[in-house]
Amino acid sequence: MRTATAPVAPETIDALGTIVAQADRGGGKISIAGGNTLSGMGLPLEAPALALSTLRLTGVVANESADLTIAVRAGMTLQGVNVLLAGQGQFIPFDAPAPQYATVGGTLAAGWLGPRRHRYGRLRDYLIGSAIVLADGSVARAGGMVVKNVAGYDMSRLYVGSFGTLGILVQANFKTIPAPGHARIFLAPLPERTRERAFAALAALPVAPSAAFWVDGFHNSIDGDDGNEGRVAVLLDGSEALLERATRDLRSALGRAGVPETRVFDTGARESFQRIVDAYVANLGERSVTYRIASFPTESAERALNIQQLARRYDLRTETIVDALNGDVVLRASGLDSRTLGGKIESFDDAIHELEPGAQVIACEHPHRVHLNAWGEAPAAVERMRALKARFDPNRTLNPGRFVGGI
Amino acid sequence: MKRLGMLRERLIGALGTDGVKTEPEDLSVYAFDAYTDGGRPLAVVLPRSTNEVSAVVKIAREFGEPIVARGAGTGLCGGAVPAAGGIVISTMRMNRILELDAANRRARVEPGLINLDLSRRVAADGLFFAPDPSSQQISTIGGNIATNAGGPHCLSYGTTVNHVLGLEVVDETGEVFTTSIDDSGYDLTAALVGSEGTLGIVTSAWVRLLAQPEAVRVWVAAFDQMEAASEAVSAIVAAGIVPTALEMMDSVIVTAVEAAFHAGYPTGAAAVLLVESAGFEEDVAAAESAIRAIVNQHGARYMRGARTAAERAALWAGRKGAAGATGRIAPNYYTQDVCVPRSKLPTALRAVAAAAAEHAITVGNVFHAGDGNLHPLLMYDRRDRRQVAAVVLTGNAILESAIELGGTISGEHGIGWEKRDAMTRVYTTADLAAMGRVRDVFDPRRRLNPEKIFPSGARCSEVTPP
Ligand SMILES: Cc1cc2nc3c(=O)[nH]c(=O)nc-3n(C[C@H](O)[C@H](O)[C@H](O)COP(=O)(O)OP(=O)(O)OC[C@H]3O[C@@H](n4cnc5c(N)ncnc54)[C@H](O)[C@@H]3O)c2cc1C
Ligand SMILES: Cc1cc2nc3c(=O)[nH]c(=O)nc-3n(C[C@H](O)[C@H](O)[C@H](O)COP(=O)(O)OP(=O)(O)OC[C@H]3O[C@@H](n4cnc5c(N)ncnc54)[C@H](O)[C@@H]3O)c2cc1C
Repeated sequence: MRTATAPVAPETIDALGTIVAQADRGGGKISIAGGNTLSGMGLPLEAPALALSTLRLTGVVANESADLTIAVRAGMTLQGVNVLLAGQGQFIPFDAPAPQYATVGGTLAAGWLGPRRHRYGRLRDYLIGSAIVLADGSVARAGGMVVKNVAGYDMSRLYVGSFGTLGILVQANFKTIPAPGHARIFLAPLPERTRERAFAALAALPVAPSAAFWVDGFHNSIDGDDGNEGRVAVLLDGSEALLERATRDLRSALGRAGVPETRVFDTGARESFQRIVDAYVANLGERSVTYRIASFPTESAERALNIQQLARRYDLRTETIVDALNGDVVLRASGLDSRTLGGKIESFDDAIHELEPGAQVIACEHPHRVHLNAWGEAPAAVERMRALKARFDPNRTLNPGRFVGGI
Repeated sequence: MKRLGMLRERLIGALGTDGVKTEPEDLSVYAFDAYTDGGRPLAVVLPRSTNEVSAVVKIAREFGEPIVARGAGTGLCGGAVPAAGGIVISTMRMNRILELDAANRRARVEPGLINLDLSRRVAADGLFFAPDPSSQQISTIGGNIATNAGGPHCLSYGTTVNHVLGLEVVDETGEVFTTSIDDSGYDLTAALVGSEGTLGIVTSAWVRLLAQPEAVRVWVAAFDQMEAASEAVSAIVAAGIVPTALEMMDSVIVTAVEAAFHAGYPTGAAAVLLVESAGFEEDVAAAESAIRAIVNQHGARYMRGARTAAERAALWAGRKGAAGATGRIAPNYYTQDVCVPRSKLPTALRAVAAAAAEHAITVGNVFHAGDGNLHPLLMYDRRDRRQVAAVVLTGNAILESAIELGGTISGEHGIGWEKRDAMTRVYTTADLAAMGRVRDVFDPRRRLNPEKIFPSGARCSEVTPP
């Protein structure tokens, strides 16, 4: 997917528009990248393409701190935005891995659902306006700087999760929210027999955590401890008084569920949370593949165990992160030696899709990656999605072939 | 005439006689919504299922007739009026909860279900449906989805789009398709919410339910100046406090509401602020002291909390019945709906007052202050042509001032028939063309709720690229 030549990185929206318009007229193709943290996801482009980077399209367009709104150019990194907002006591719930590299545009284009969405909602719900360069090079704006707006179709939300196939996001306007004052994280061993009960206990807590995971593997990267047992990790945030109460509730709930002892710390809580999110896309070079499966919280523990067992049957090493509040299951299978196991990765891919038709490949550098079912089963409305692509990008100029159903 | 008879026969064949209305006196009701009249349908149908909706759409297509979906008809922008005639599909009889998955806090419902009925029916499970337009006692989930309805509580819960997980939709050809926000691919769910019935007819929806908060507290604060009250609102939000609702009423409204409902608002104040905080005991208690301090700093006369659930309900009933209460002032009212950046509220309110004064129109303000979403109610008598003209001019002036302040032409009621020509004031041809591309995919022949959202007249061809 990466092209050999250095990417073109325009500094203005106009310059970007001109490049896109030229390519579109001349039959050229464009692959668009921000921080490239998600370059391991999606199908290969159907034709060689000019690499276009948004990394120089940066800067704050408007920062109305009293109104809790901000508008930025799409190439700004999440860390850049977060640091700025933190200084104002605000935040946007971006949960992306590697925020020092990931860009606002790439994050919106990927449209992933963060672990904190159970508490804070989806990233798309914070997007109040956008500017996008369409395939013909024209700029279309939608929304604005007001927090409520129902003037016409909600175009901004349509662009979220479109993987750069409808247009190139160049500006995003967000509403922000006040940052919670305190954060605390819990880490505890999670033996297999306690899992289902621990999940139910977490779901029933009156004071909802911001994020809660069961993590198997990845330990070194998360808490420096490489014990073999699974972990439960729970992030709480809010006022001090609320955290005191949440802590009591959580301790007793986990205790009743049979979770042995709990490590609690406030300093570095958010960093620990970020390390778990970073682990989602951690790549073990050519020998691993990471899948994501959307599930319901009530089913996720069991589904995670099923795919772990499946991987074991293929003699693969597995690491798993289950998002206890939202239900997502992330499985990294490794030990896919490319020399001897070239064919096996494909049969494993078939098997996992038989069990979980919607499984998506989110990170993989394996040479056989092109043969994997990267997006899982086609969504019910795939034909309508194709029609949208055809209407927005009739010449297939932008990221052709990368997305769902070869869009 | 013969064609109409055939159409009628076909519709009856699909839905039975009790599902089809073609008598003039029945039809005239459907020429109106809460905004105005806008054309007369040929027939109104009341399907009971997705299949019946699909059958009607296919028949309409054969006869080349447009389709307008209709919930409760409470829309305030003429969205549900059959501007180009054709067939109105009323969702009235599709009002069931099809599935309730309390453990995962979601439900699948039919579009004709009344908003408040959903919350009532899931209350026993400790759940509720968050979007709460003031019309929630009569408006439907389908209508809420089609307009992306807001309400007092969307300050903290967000608008309807945040609470829709997936849709079942009948398209312009009669084909049924489904969307889910967890599907890979484009977020068609988000694109369909707020599309005002121009992209498809929603026949069922998966919606998100929320756990009822453990603590809810409501306060009223009274101010001698509207400006000070607006500044207090900005200060509360800027201080990092997010109440579940921050609603404001001016003296015109408070007087009308007190006379009608005895809601318990202080009279004689220039502005009354209604604040609700909900969530955990700890948070609600902290919010109360912080809000009290800010409100005092801004010169509030006093702040008082509802002591009982009944007092709380009365305060809310007053707020939600505010528009109706203006019947004591004038026979008719027109609700403008604009949204401005929150910090521009005082300026926007001054502009409203100036416009009303210039055209000699009585205006009452009751609005979602926390969102910067203004609803000036312009009071008039429909029988007086001079007053009607003055209301139109005042409404336009308010719209214009909101645009100048960097705001938008609708915060929650939608564009519909009323504001479609104003779309060109906030969007360029390229912006509208992008919307037109979406329409091309779902409704290429423009048969679903034609004459809505997109500007009329010559600009239409520019709007839709060839
Ligand atoms: C397991 C996992 C969990 C994740 N969890 C979250 C989460 O919780 N919350 C969250 O917000 N994100 C999450 N992400 C995704 C995250 O959004 C991306 O990893 C990252 O933010 C993408 O940014 P980037 O700049 O590196 O994009 P890139 O990797 O450069 O690009 C990603 C895609 O977007 C396209 N693209 C890039 N820039 C633009 C643009 N300006 N306009 C249009 N298209 C563009 C690219 O063509 C490519 O298709 C998760 C990802 C993974 C794999
Ligand atoms: C007193 C009063 C207070 C109000 N307060 C608020 C408020 O606080 N917030 C707010 O947002 N609105 C408010 N409204 C406006 C109105 O109630 C909302 O827009 C509501 O969502 C409309 O629902 P309905 O069922 O009446 O829809 P209708 O008026 O019947 O229809 C509205 C639009 O939705 C379309 N539609 C209806 N059903 C479907 C369907 N199944 N599929 C596709 N399209 C469909 C129609 O074609 C039309 O374009 C208020 C109205 C009144 C009269």
